[in-house]
Amino acid sequence: MINQSLSMPDTPTSNTSPNGYRLVSIGQHAQILIEKEAIVRNTWLLLVLFFASIITLGSGTMAISPKEVVDVLLGQGDTMNQFVVKDLRLPRLLAAIYTGAAFSLAGCLMQTMARNRLATPGIIGIDNAAMAFAVSSIVGMSVSLAPSFMALAGAATATALAFGLAGGSGTRGYRFIVAGIGIGAIAGAVTQLLLSQVSIDVANSAYPWTVGSLSARDPFMVNTLSIGIAICVIGCLLFSRQFALLPFSDQVITGLGANIKHIRILALILCITLTGLAVAVAGPVGLVALVGPEIARVLSRYRGIPLISSALTGALVMMLSDLFGRTVLSPIELPVGIVTAVIGGPYLIWILVRRSSRSSL
Amino acid sequence: MQSWFLKSPAQRPLFAVLVSALFVLALCCLLSLLFGAGGLTPQASLQTLFGNGSPDDEFTVFHLRSTRTLIGLFVGLTLGIAGALMQAVARNPLAEPGLLGVSAGSSFAVAMALVMGASTATLTVGIAQLGALIGCICVLGAARMQGQHNDPIRLVLAGAALSSLLLAMTSLILLFDQRAADEIRFWVTGSVAGRDTHTLMSVLPSMLVAAACVLYTAKPLASLALGERVAIGLGHKPRRIRGIIIIAVALLVGGATAIAGPVAFIGLVVPFAARALVGPDIRRTLWLCLPLGPIIVISADIISRLVAQPTEMPLGVLTAIVGAPVLLLIVRSRRLPTL
Amino acid sequence: MTATAFKQKPNTFSASLSADKLSLKHGKISIIDQLNVTLPEGQVTAIVGPNGCGKSTLLNGLSRVHTPSSGVVMLDGKDIHSLPSKEVARRLALLPQDTLAPDGITIEELIRFGRHPHQSLLRQWAMDDQEAIKYALQAADLEGLKDRLLDTLSGGQRQRAWIAMSIAQETPLLLLDEPTSALDLGHQIEVFELIRNLSRQGKTLAMVVHDLPSACRYSDHIIAMKEGEILTQGSPKDIMTKELVRELYGVDCDLMPDPMTGSPILINIRRLKS
Repeated sequence: MINQSLSMPDTPTSNTSPNGYRLVSIGQHAQILIEKEAIVRNTWLLLVLFFASIITLGSGTMAISPKEVVDVLLGQGDTMNQFVVKDLRLPRLLAAIYTGAAFSLAGCLMQTMARNRLATPGIIGIDNAAMAFAVSSIVGMSVSLAPSFMALAGAATATALAFGLAGGSGTRGYRFIVAGIGIGAIAGAVTQLLLSQVSIDVANSAYPWTVGSLSARDPFMVNTLSIGIAICVIGCLLFSRQFALLPFSDQVITGLGANIKHIRILALILCITLTGLAVAVAGPVGLVALVGPEIARVLSRYRGIPLISSALTGALVMMLSDLFGRTVLSPIELPVGIVTAVIGGPYLIWILVRRSSRSSL
Repeated sequence: MQSWFLKSPAQRPLFAVLVSALFVLALCCLLSLLFGAGGLTPQASLQTLFGNGSPDDEFTVFHLRSTRTLIGLFVGLTLGIAGALMQAVARNPLAEPGLLGVSAGSSFAVAMALVMGASTATLTVGIAQLGALIGCICVLGAARMQGQHNDPIRLVLAGAALSSLLLAMTSLILLFDQRAADEIRFWVTGSVAGRDTHTLMSVLPSMLVAAACVLYTAKPLASLALGERVAIGLGHKPRRIRGIIIIAVALLVGGATAIAGPVAFIGLVVPFAARALVGPDIRRTLWLCLPLGPIIVISADIISRLVAQPTEMPLGVLTAIVGAPVLLLIVRSRRLPTL
Repeated sequence: MTATAFKQKPNTFSASLSADKLSLKHGKISIIDQLNVTLPEGQVTAIVGPNGCGKSTLLNGLSRVHTPSSGVVMLDGKDIHSLPSKEVARRLALLPQDTLAPDGITIEELIRFGRHPHQSLLRQWAMDDQEAIKYALQAADLEGLKDRLLDTLSGGQRQRAWIAMSIAQETPLLLLDEPTSALDLGHQIEVFELIRNLSRQGKTLAMVVHDLPSACRYSDHIIAMKEGEILTQGSPKDIMTKELVRELYGVDCDLMPDPMTGSPILINIRRLKS
């Protein structure tokens, strides 16, 4: 029963932080809460990522021991090793880390926004549109821009179209999702059309763009992506309090004094920037966006939305998938998109088929 | 003159609408024989039809175009019915074989068969149907298990996810086999051109089975539309009905895919149009889907021949361009979960 | 054991909420047209009426969740839509019907979200946050449950947790949309008593209620609505008549005062004879 004799609690003498958080006070006006568990979790993930990177840099047709890799990274080691590690493998490794982080972060944001674990940018057709644009540039059906730029343009166009057709954000943005699926279907059909019209050689050269691959990526795009990710991660950190409200119903969010439309548009912009840039580097490797956040969610008990952990797990998944694709059937190289599909596939089917009370996010 | 057309859809006499639709269908077939890419003018085609054409013209009209029309007829018929059935079973107006990954399942199976060295038409058809069945069970099973049939968007998302997975798998197999890749590149676009009647013949037996399934379940399906419990109360067995329908859908979609490749959105547009014309009762819409499917496929095919002359625009691309707006239209009309 | 046991929170100020010629639409359908209403300060107001009469819409309109097509909602004499949303959230809390929460959230974490309007990027946790949460837990009698997961609670406890979140918001105004729907009798009483307790501290409360006797018993002021209009309003004893019940719900009944509390109860309810 309700306690009838309520009184104000005794005024606490010190400001103790809530369970599981550490309070960082900077002067009088800044009190910032930091989740202890997240710090521990993300530190572990970073460590794993680092060690996996060392191993990745050492694996391939020419095996290099982890010690030698570290030597090279510290500026020592022989010229051959320097060349292989720094010039051949490092750019590819960075591309994998960046794209994995970008896809996964975007996936986590969109899943949260749509409150559905299947709603990732790839599945609602943004990847497809980017792919269609990139392929059109390769098969010479459009202005001769580099495919990576076309991919970026494609992602932007698809989102703008979906947003326009959906007529604003709507309830839970579900029209946006369906509009995206529709546009994705058209883009897929157009890609098939383009590929069926050209000679087999041209079609083969466009192939990486249809499955997603990390070999010989545009270094300029990789650099752009790294800057984009840095900005988006900062954005996510700055607005994490607002994003944490997204799982509530619209009325609750408004009731708590937050502007639901602004939050959603902001999240959407971050999503699209990340997905667009990542597709421009690696092509459609959308399943990372599904798997990365899921691993992050398993690792973290609920405390807000595991955005940063998603980025880290995504990077890890992408890197290991690429390593697997490079080495398992060597000298044949499996495109990373296919490896992630093979890894993500069974997992996806598991989500679809298992009986779960947590059917929604 | 046609005062029945002014009535509300559910009150229109089915027979009159059906006859008008059949008339339009006949017109479409005729146009399909008359128009096409290449040098043959419509006038010359018409003369050929009446028996006054050169052997070349006769070959074009009676062999190429008539086969193509026949296949269009078949594909429209099967996909339209499959769409209507799927929507009734999923109780979701967005359920469509292409969107839900059933066609993708079928493509995957066909790619698999091609890589394994299959070539006989019968084998491909059976395999496409098996793939469709697996896709169907996956997506509908997922939807039912998570209680998603109340949320149309989730079902579509599950379908999109399944499709993207199956497409990636298809790419994977094709990576290992250049010949199959080359062969399937044209097939996956979805087209009714350049297929032969032989394949059509090999599909027919399974279509008869599907037709029997549909006839058997049409009535219980109408009560299933009122909800599972109501259907049980009326003495039907929802599980069995659903099972039979899923098999019928797999047979139909697999057959159509084996012949024309994955053609998306027909299963969405046809039942949508049928409902707009004769109201939501499945027994009425199914009848109307029979002529409407072929009308849409054949007219889309005619347009695809004409817009991109002298080359052709594959049917699958055109239906996607026509179908995606319909998808949006359905979503925008706020009465979503009321099927 | 009375209201005097409550110490007034120092930053609790009174707030007035009223609507002036408020019109609300769902798409093109007009739900409420040119409605004037004022919530009496410091009292519990119950909004009653048949299904679809616009009760919830009115509540959403008053809490700026539903944007009016014309007219204004005045919060402390200012147009609620002209005030910053966060500012409004510090004076007015809303507990909607559709309360969806993240999976795996504990009671305390849920209540902490109530502090959102008082916090900012650089001010994520201050003394008053801590106090407010402690107070909300105590007021809703949830101290022993604070680390339990929300999903594992009973319906009544869960509803109390949501109300506690609104309490932590420390607003002088609290609007509740059917706070007791889908709760059994015992849980209903739990929630209603909590609402009465909050009113004793000087909060202004408004709630949409379906059950007429409960509305009479637990509110000071009743607003009876039908078809988007206010039929009558006033204290339960004054306005509750057979005629009103007939006009609202189309049933005949007799009224008698509850022998213990004196609030009107409905007896002998029967279908209207035409």
